[in-house]
Amino acid sequence: MFERFQGDARQAVIGAQENARRLNHRFIGPEHILLGLLDRPESLAARVLARHGLDHDRAYRAVAGLVPPPGGGLDAEALETIGIDLSAVRERVEAVFGPGALDRGPARGRRTGGHIPFTPRAKKTLELSLREALRLKHGYISDGHVLLGILREGQGVGARVIAGAGIDAETLRQEIAAELG
Amino acid sequence: MSDTAQLASDAGSRDPAVGLRAVRALRMLVERLEALQVENAREQGWSWQEIAHCLEVSRQAVHKKYAGGRGLLRRER
Repeated sequence: MFERFQGDARQAVIGAQENARRLNHRFIGPEHILLGLLDRPESLAARVLARHGLDHDRAYRAVAGLVPPPGGGLDAEALETIGIDLSAVRERVEAVFGPGALDRGPARGRRTGGHIPFTPRAKKTLELSLREALRLKHGYISDGHVLLGILREGQGVGARVIAGAGIDAETLRQEIAAELG
Repeated sequence: MSDTAQLASDAGSRDPAVGLRAVRALRMLVERLEALQVENAREQGWSWQEIAHCLEVSRQAVHKKYAGGRGLLRRER
């Protein structure tokens, strides 16, 4: 199915993994796919969401708030409340000690550097992206279809972040469909 | 503004849940950094006494905490 994903859609799926890693999450959910979409401000999905005031920064904070870090994980959001930018700390530590150095807990063996699995909701989201593309009679899956997939899945943190930004799902769906043509 | 953005901008929050969570997060970050730096120091041949001096703790404390670890830290019990 992945071969039908075009440029920005493909990048969003790849970017989802990077966002999950940055958040110290050990899974990829629809919310990470949403962040992957927003990572590319020129993409259709990001442009439509920006119109409603939702950009990567805002969504990232919302995801960090809704999904607590795993047990023993570093709490980026809490550190931010006292002015510590965990990503900046991580960047400097990793520059000296290598990728994932800061995320190696005292109990070694669990690493975040490797492959991060997709949750069933994320898989469902990607399947629904395909279904949205078929429904619109498009022979490809673009980032717009992926955003439609997130909305259609509806139950995940991705859809909750969109709703939390005060965006009406149906309005958004129509705007995306109009942009897709 | 989203709840999270609000939380983040509320550095001076009086909500104990917010403040305590930040303390916990900071402690965890310190633990990670300490473990990394102690490991690095041991790899570079520093003695437990030297490490303890820099951390302003007793040699016994740092030894007890890290000497039972893995790899290079384990060599010298």
